[in-house]
Amino acid sequence: MLEIKNLHAGIEGKDILKGINLTINAGEVHAIMGPNGSGKSTLSSVIAGNETYEVTKGDIILDNESLLEVAPETRAHKGVFLSFQYPVEIPGVTTTNFIKTAINEKRKAQGLEELPAKDMLKLIREKSTLLEMDRKFLSRSLNEGFSGGEKKRNEIFQMAMLEPKLAILDETDSGLDIDALKIVANGVNKLKNKDNAVIVITHYQRLLEYIVPDYVHVLYNGKIVKSGGKELAFELEEKGYDWIKNL
Amino acid sequence: MNKFTEDDLKKELETKEYEYGFYTDIEADKFPVGLNEDVVIAISKKKNEPKWMTDWRLEAFRIWKEMEEPEWANINYKKPDFQNISYYSAPKQKPTLDSLDQVDPELLKTFEKLGISIDEQKRLSNVAVDVVMDSVSVATTFKKTLNEKGIIFCPISEAIQKHPDLVKKYLGSIVPKTDNFYAALNSAVFSDGSFCYIPKGVTCPMELSTYFRINEGGTGQFERTLVIADKGSYVSYLEGCTAPQRDENQLHAAVVELIALDDAEIKYSTVQNWFPGDDKGKGGVFNFVTKRGLCETNAKISWTQVETGSAITWKYPSCILKGDNAVGEFYSIAVTNNYQQADTGTKMIHLGNNTKSTIISKGVSAGKSQNSYRGLVQIHSKAKNARNFSQCDSLLMGNECGAHTFPYIECKNQTAQIEHEATTSKIGEDQLFYCNQRGIDTEKAIALIVNGFSKEVLNKLPMEFAVEAQKLLEISLEGSVG
Amino acid sequence: MSLKEKLISSFIALENKGSVDLDSNIHNIRTKAIEVFEQKGFPTKKDEEWKYTSLKSILKHNYSVFPSSENSVEVNDIKKYFIQGIESYKIVFIDGVYSSFLSETTHDGFDICLLSSAIKKTKHKIVTDYYFNTLANKNDSITALNTAFTTEGTYIHIPKNVMVPKPIQLMYFYTGKENEVMLQPRNLIIVGENSHVQIVERHQCLTKKATVLTNAVTEIFAHKRAIVDWYKIQNDTENASLIDSTFVEQRENSIVSVNTYSFGGKLTRNNLEFHQKGEHIVSNLNGISVLNKKQHVDHHTLVNHIEPNCESHELYKGIYNNASTGVFNGKVIVKKEAQKTNAYQQNNSILIGDKAAVNAKPQLEIFADDVKCSHGCTIGQLDESALFYMQQRGIPKAEAKALLLFAFANDVVEKIKIPELKTTITKLIADKLGVELGFNL
Repeated sequence: MLEIKNLHAGIEGKDILKGINLTINAGEVHAIMGPNGSGKSTLSSVIAGNETYEVTKGDIILDNESLLEVAPETRAHKGVFLSFQYPVEIPGVTTTNFIKTAINEKRKAQGLEELPAKDMLKLIREKSTLLEMDRKFLSRSLNEGFSGGEKKRNEIFQMAMLEPKLAILDETDSGLDIDALKIVANGVNKLKNKDNAVIVITHYQRLLEYIVPDYVHVLYNGKIVKSGGKELAFELEEKGYDWIKNL
Repeated sequence: MNKFTEDDLKKELETKEYEYGFYTDIEADKFPVGLNEDVVIAISKKKNEPKWMTDWRLEAFRIWKEMEEPEWANINYKKPDFQNISYYSAPKQKPTLDSLDQVDPELLKTFEKLGISIDEQKRLSNVAVDVVMDSVSVATTFKKTLNEKGIIFCPISEAIQKHPDLVKKYLGSIVPKTDNFYAALNSAVFSDGSFCYIPKGVTCPMELSTYFRINEGGTGQFERTLVIADKGSYVSYLEGCTAPQRDENQLHAAVVELIALDDAEIKYSTVQNWFPGDDKGKGGVFNFVTKRGLCETNAKISWTQVETGSAITWKYPSCILKGDNAVGEFYSIAVTNNYQQADTGTKMIHLGNNTKSTIISKGVSAGKSQNSYRGLVQIHSKAKNARNFSQCDSLLMGNECGAHTFPYIECKNQTAQIEHEATTSKIGEDQLFYCNQRGIDTEKAIALIVNGFSKEVLNKLPMEFAVEAQKLLEISLEGSVG
Repeated sequence: MSLKEKLISSFIALENKGSVDLDSNIHNIRTKAIEVFEQKGFPTKKDEEWKYTSLKSILKHNYSVFPSSENSVEVNDIKKYFIQGIESYKIVFIDGVYSSFLSETTHDGFDICLLSSAIKKTKHKIVTDYYFNTLANKNDSITALNTAFTTEGTYIHIPKNVMVPKPIQLMYFYTGKENEVMLQPRNLIIVGENSHVQIVERHQCLTKKATVLTNAVTEIFAHKRAIVDWYKIQNDTENASLIDSTFVEQRENSIVSVNTYSFGGKLTRNNLEFHQKGEHIVSNLNGISVLNKKQHVDHHTLVNHIEPNCESHELYKGIYNNASTGVFNGKVIVKKEAQKTNAYQQNNSILIGDKAAVNAKPQLEIFADDVKCSHGCTIGQLDESALFYMQQRGIPKAEAKALLLFAFANDVVEKIKIPELKTTITKLIADKLGVELGFNL
């Protein structure tokens, strides 16, 4: 489904990703781990098309099509979803209105009619229940005044609404207490099926106890230095990141 | 990448033509240009006014002659030549109409283009529309329903004939002839406008609404509005404006006076979308408006305005909170683009005890425009326990525009509580990317964010008006608003 | 003869006195300045910048423009006005004349001396010619008046990379020998690259009966990475008035803080202008006013953001008793090029007196889009619930009130970096509020 080939990217002339190769198939969960500054968040931003970063070499291919020249919103329409490490606040725009706009824009891109209000409401009810979200958040301004945990839950709620093909969870576990973590992980697991894929980006293996990866990749200094099964996460936790520096 | 950037948007904004820029071809009865006592008398005569009214106008004219055009506002423009303006223009057909069938079909077409056809209004929104077409009313509806309640809603020219006592008592009582240059001019030459009286204890069953139009090239429009809400009554009044695209500057100097007697409430909403001039700053309406309301004991006046048009806006809807427990509110969105200049805000004058005022002002500047908030909160020494909350937020798009705030706060009583906040910000790159990532393109994202920014004010508008207001925001800043 | 007329004819007298070098650059500057003053005169309330402050009551006096000198004072009379328990440089003026006996100046590594001698000495003249009157607003009639008449003041020149080891106290005393007098001191301060200096300025009349009008002008130039902390103590007698105009020019990465403490005096007007000419500049403006009786203080600030990536932080607090009045007019301009500006302004006032009044005008004029600017302004009273809470715990109402007011002003006090000065200011506030601090300061 997703193929990343020798990807080099950076910001203002400074290289951050220095040749990433990664293939992800439908139905798989991949975890990307690594110390701070290894390029994890850059990778997720580049896949989503953030123009702050410049791709200098390599390619990102989704369903046999290069994404490099594709606008971020079009990537979203094609099914790429990024759960932000720091979800952005948009004052005055309610979560409901925001997600409604997002869904209808996607439908428009797919040549579909707007989702009738009745169906939209039903969908919102269903998905917010899945994430055990307090309904009152839905009528509040997007992420404004939300706690860290609420923001992350809202991200997964949007993911549930948009049903992406490829979901990237960037440090979704940070700022979550154990209960919230379980709810979020449960939400992700329920959404997982044989046709979609998930990339979990994390510093700790804690989240991976709940979202069990098929593959674990260790990112260090802009490169994937080690790949393995889920046991790699435990090994990493045990030995610490200093271990990989010597690999 | 062929991504729609903010720059592209700006470009598109600049080339975007004035969507409502069309011109209705209705024959007009028009005075030659120039202003002197004879013209003032002729206007008065044209309207068959009684002598007291003619004298009132003449006095205003003499006051105006001695005054100078003010220069303190943060606006730059070529001052109009007041001797090169025609001070009267009326459609030649002047029938008294009972139904829409009798209205000039051209006019109906105009309103349809605006999406506010009287027809629809009448049928769906339960709105009585007093249409002011180039200074003279040509259609009045829903008169009967209003009659039953004793509500008077008619052109002010008619009120001068039929209700002289009310007009004599209140006209100029809130905005005196001496108030300012433009108010004095208006007092001398006002052609028409609306008059509204709500009797004691009556809640007006529908939104009263007037659509103003400036239609004839070169004619200034001098509207005069007087709304009186007697004790314990309630009225919601809507005013909306668009103007045809014209190449020369059009002067507009309206005066609106509101009187809310004890326990009365007036809600006055405006959507203003006059021709703002083209992308080179040519043309556009000069809008110098004096709006003021007086609140007696327990009365409330609420001004809500959405300002997207005009080349120059000079407008400060104000409240004099005279009675105890009086409440004044001002909710405003002003959007400027291209070379538009807006200097707008409010005055809240606290005279009574326990008076309260709220000011929410939102300014959006784009292009090469300048957007200023100018406000005064004044607590007099005898006004105990006065409260004010003000919030002025500015949103900037592009770096060729300006946003300015000039709040004046004058407090002479120790029991007052005043809070003023102002912020200036731009639409963040991170906000746009977040929206993009969820599949919302930049154009739509901007509309969404601007709409969110303006929401506190939009929410204050009556439902049917809010829809139109959103439409105008769309046109002014592009992108459909979700 | 009006004061204006008197001043203009006095200028001719000043020129004829022979003490002024008629060929100098300074002479030209003076002549131009008196022309501006002659043309504009004293500002009135019709002037937008003076809308809330009338000079009428202080201009009606028959001020002596050239006070007689040779006054001497006892050290004991003035000791209490200096910051206690601190080593410092001192430059002391008595009735406008420098007192070498009371001063402690230096030319060792940097210059702290008289402006009059700096202007005359060739070595300093190059510097003064380069800086003098280049920053002060030439079109402002009050500033121009000072420029035309000033004969004395402080000159401080700190070269590159100097940490001035102790604070500098600028003290302007008036003995009250003459009943009505006008003083026009002038300061020029140049702080070189990467240097750091702390300065305390005070204008003080030594007797209650004398009517004094001080029209002071200060120009401060802060070069790259310089750090300047300026403290103005305004606690003059009830017939003394002050118009203080301070102009600051900053270069990249410099940090300049001007702190103004207004407790005394009849009428005080503070004009404070910051011009940021470089990136990554930080400007701090802090003020506390605690007034009573019919005192009037007007804080007029301007921060001119010209270059990108700069900050300004403004915090003014006021407590107004009796019939005192306060004005806060804070203007922030963000020029088109000044992207990424972060300008913050806060003005909080508490009215206690039933005739007290506050006029506030926080202005933002913004021409750049990528900025974060905000201003907040509140006018109110003490928190009744806090007051009740304290009373319930047995603190008498008056005491509780004073303590709450003290707490209200405290976050501005906390910004003082000289501990001994913090003590002084704390004590002055406590005195004015009648708070028993319960410990000896």
